[in-house]
Amino acid sequence: MNHLFAHLSSLVLAAGGPDQHVYNHPFAKTADGLWIWSGNMGNLVLSGVIMVLGGLWVASKVKTGPESQGHDRWITTNRFAHMIEVIAVYLREEVVRPMLHDRTNKFMPFLWTIFFFILVNNILGLIPFLDLQHVVSEDMHHKGLAFLGGTATQNIWVTGVLALIAGLVFNLAAIARLGIGGYFKHMTGGAVFPVSLLLLVIEFVGQVIIKPVALAIRLFANMTAGHILLAVLMGFIGTALTQLGPILAGTVTVVSFAGAVAIMFLELFVAVLQAFVFMFLTTVFISLMDHHDEHGHEHGHDHAHGHEHAHA
Amino acid sequence: MSRRISTFVLPTLALAFLAQTAMAAGEELGALPSPKQGLITGITALVVFAVVFAILAVKVWPVIGKALDERAGKIREEIAAAEAARKQAKDALEMYEKSLAEARAEAQKMLEKTRAQQQALADELRSKADAELAQMRERARRDIEAAKKAALQEIYSQTAAAATSIAGKILRREVNPADQKRLVEESMGELMAMKN
Repeated sequence: MNHLFAHLSSLVLAAGGPDQHVYNHPFAKTADGLWIWSGNMGNLVLSGVIMVLGGLWVASKVKTGPESQGHDRWITTNRFAHMIEVIAVYLREEVVRPMLHDRTNKFMPFLWTIFFFILVNNILGLIPFLDLQHVVSEDMHHKGLAFLGGTATQNIWVTGVLALIAGLVFNLAAIARLGIGGYFKHMTGGAVFPVSLLLLVIEFVGQVIIKPVALAIRLFANMTAGHILLAVLMGFIGTALTQLGPILAGTVTVVSFAGAVAIMFLELFVAVLQAFVFMFLTTVFISLMDHHDEHGHEHGHDHAHGHEHAHA
Repeated sequence: MSRRISTFVLPTLALAFLAQTAMAAGEELGALPSPKQGLITGITALVVFAVVFAILAVKVWPVIGKALDERAGKIREEIAAAEAARKQAKDALEMYEKSLAEARAEAQKMLEKTRAQQQALADELRSKADAELAQMRERARRDIEAAKKAALQEIYSQTAAAATSIAGKILRREVNPADQKRLVEESMGELMAMKN
């Protein structure tokens, strides 16, 4: 019980800085300090298990039933599965199809996977697995270890890998669509030499470096910032309790706690929004490298959307 | 507002903490993990994502995509069938209304024709009855006339016979039948002349 109070007080008293509750914690290290298991890895594996088992379960609920069920075979009976179905339909028909047209069905498995993978990890990051382990195990708390916990999508290595995958997909998609010559020609924007060369360099750097890096940093920064803000608000409580009088400390505690609750709701929203933004921008990047003559109007429209969301 | 927070405020706070973490000594936990801290986590992300994608791309998304397509197809098919049925019902209704109108017109025509036929028949019957009545009246008149004539003739013959008898008695002589007949005819002629 004493350990429980000690840990709970450390949550608010910010012993090692409030942000220490937010970052990834190791569980096992090699002799030279290489982390071979960390809380984020636990979360990633857990998210994978959830995605696979949840996906198989949802698919079994969504798929068309046998003819013996009559008209009911067309109905998704479970509400959660129905919610996933609605999200999947929305992403496919309202978000991706207007941009990718004939390539929609080809890219949907990847786009659905990346959206739900980020979403599941974002949501898992809101569950305080790390602190729960530290509450349960004094040893883990003492050594700062965590088998599970943290937000994998606020780890730049994770978001970097996801952005790398997305970058590979939208660049390979462009080459498959336009051919290797068309891929580079598209980047010149039809400008005359030497402007075309300048554009080629700028666009190429944008296509292979800036866009993936922007994807990685956007997700990482948004997820990190929200969690740190939560930790800071809780840290205010610790500071107020140790340094202020009872009335002021009480006021700060109430305000900070209320703020933390509000930010938690915001974080839930951000968890969904950032998963959507990552998937949406990947779709935009795929659609941008397409034949202009076929979907000229939509292309311009997508550009506008892309820039708008790039600031999100 | 939420977008502003996520766009400006949160990244600013994140950068502030990144700076604070960088200043810390030893193996500090930070927002930007070192390669030793993050490399295997990154590889794990790659492997987990690849495995998840491989399984979902084979076992889940095709099933869901197929179900969505089938459902969309079914809905499209049902809407088309409903529209066809509605059109069919509308056509049937129009045809029914047209038939009904035609039947009403036909019935009206038949009614009018029947009324005309009835009227004609009634008129014919009435005229025939009138004619028959007139014939019967004429026949009766003729029968009465004949009966009257016969009765008068009988009266005259009886009267003549009586008169003849009386006259014969007066004249004391017998009148033979030829005289009697002649006397009767003369008397009848006188009587008819008197009547006229």
